[in-house]
Amino acid sequence: MNAIETHDLTRYYGDLCAVNHLTLSVDREVFALLGPNGSGKTTTVLMLTTMLRPTEGTATVCGHDTVRDGEQVRRSLSYVPQDMAVDIKLTGRENALLFARLYGVAAPKDRVDELLAVMQLYDRADELVKVYSGGMRRRLELVQALVHEPEVLFLDEPTLGLDVAARATIWEHITALKKGGMTIFVTTHYMDEADRFCDRVGIISKGALLALGSPPDLKARLGNDVITAHIDGTFRDPGINGITLFAFANDEASFLAENGREALPVLADAFTRAGIKVRSLALREPTLDDVFLHTVGTPDEPTGFDQTKFRTMLRRRR
Amino acid sequence: MRGVVWYIERDFLRWVRGRVAVFSALVMPAAWLIFVGLALPIRFTDNYLDFITPGILVMTMLSAGLSGGTLLMFDKILGFLNKFLALPAPREDILFGKILFVSLRGLIQATIILVIAVLIGASVYSPLQYGLTYLILFLFGVLLSAFATTLALYLEDHDSFAAVNTMISMPLFFTSSALMPYSVMPGWLRVIAMANPLSYAIDAIRAVNAGALPVAQVASLMILGIVVTAVSVQVFRRVTV
Repeated sequence: MNAIETHDLTRYYGDLCAVNHLTLSVDREVFALLGPNGSGKTTTVLMLTTMLRPTEGTATVCGHDTVRDGEQVRRSLSYVPQDMAVDIKLTGRENALLFARLYGVAAPKDRVDELLAVMQLYDRADELVKVYSGGMRRRLELVQALVHEPEVLFLDEPTLGLDVAARATIWEHITALKKGGMTIFVTTHYMDEADRFCDRVGIISKGALLALGSPPDLKARLGNDVITAHIDGTFRDPGINGITLFAFANDEASFLAENGREALPVLADAFTRAGIKVRSLALREPTLDDVFLHTVGTPDEPTGFDQTKFRTMLRRRR
Repeated sequence: MRGVVWYIERDFLRWVRGRVAVFSALVMPAAWLIFVGLALPIRFTDNYLDFITPGILVMTMLSAGLSGGTLLMFDKILGFLNKFLALPAPREDILFGKILFVSLRGLIQATIILVIAVLIGASVYSPLQYGLTYLILFLFGVLLSAFATTLALYLEDHDSFAAVNTMISMPLFFTSSALMPYSVMPGWLRVIAMANPLSYAIDAIRAVNAGALPVAQVASLMILGIVVTAVSVQVFRRVTV
């Protein structure tokens, strides 16, 4: 039995399909669901944590159905939403004790003390959360989530808005929890973090799971070398056989090529012939960012910002 | 059910540490008591302060009860509600916690208003009469807070809750028997006032003060309270975000 299993999990908001037939199993690993804003990450987490009913399909957490055995499911998991919800008028210890008591933990005070020490908050546990930094608040939320020793931990954007050092600390803790046998399901749009700290990632866009695998696997599947070109002025695809454009944003075009070293001069020539001004060309190994852009395409807003439509609209107004 | 205690403790700590909010809720009923209760030239009674005090007490409970909705709305906006809903503890504990917290807080506020009323010249009653007054106020607080908390669960944002709050609290107060007896009301107002649950509570307290036992009003408040709370429990059990 896997800790998390979903089968054709689907959720509609009216006509909008937020999650589209998601089938997934996750067990004793750090799994990241990656996707642009509005791609259905949070909706998936809300369904898995019993907060939202699926329109279609099923999901189980530790063998319990999320719709039929809601209470059993909630007993085996913890959920940390992205809002950073800790009471600023309570002390760190009071915040943690509240959850230990609500979970009905035996000896709540000892358990809270133990976790506060693990999360390096023990010395400041009796100060109001008002004076805590973002990283400390996040660690306090981890304390709250861990009081009842859950088997599955859901973290929605755990490092959102934190500085570099605080992020590293959060990931250290997540990794330690996994080593203890916990299943950790995170959503994020920080690719570098997913690449470094997650065992497997799933890339989701417009509700559909487009890629699934370990970061090295996904990068290997992309296979080729990546060439990025910094463009001055207007850009169009020079259209060379074997050198495929897969992303263009902020004046930076990214190409995939079988052999990057040979492709570089070919590409440079093609640009010159097409009269496109190139400021720099770089050759590098594929990153998870490239996998993501290749899978999802250039990220756009969930409402579908249509540039052609926008231009037509502007023209009409003149 | 033990979760209820912890939810109440949380709200209580947040309230007393808020300092300003502890007093601000008292300003409006105290102002009514002093500026209307003492100043309005009234002919139908010699002691208008005694007449209006039950109305002001119920008004205090009205805003206290509706504040249950505000509390839940902020829990919802700030993400606390999601964390609470993901707990294995029964979800109706959240509701009962809010109902009991705001009703008890309302009673504390009502006590202060009562003390002010006595200090500026309202009559003093027997401990039994005060006990019954508290019971009535509590029942009324439960009814209002169950309603407001459940309503907040369904409204989108704080603005719409605040709008509903203003939309119902002022009309409810002015169409009740708080400010004048039924005998001096115009006919149309009398009809509305007699159906208004605020009047049940106000009339019940006046009856207690006059030495009667307002069985009918107390029973109606109790039945209404039980029905609204039962519906709210079902709503909380089934709620999804």
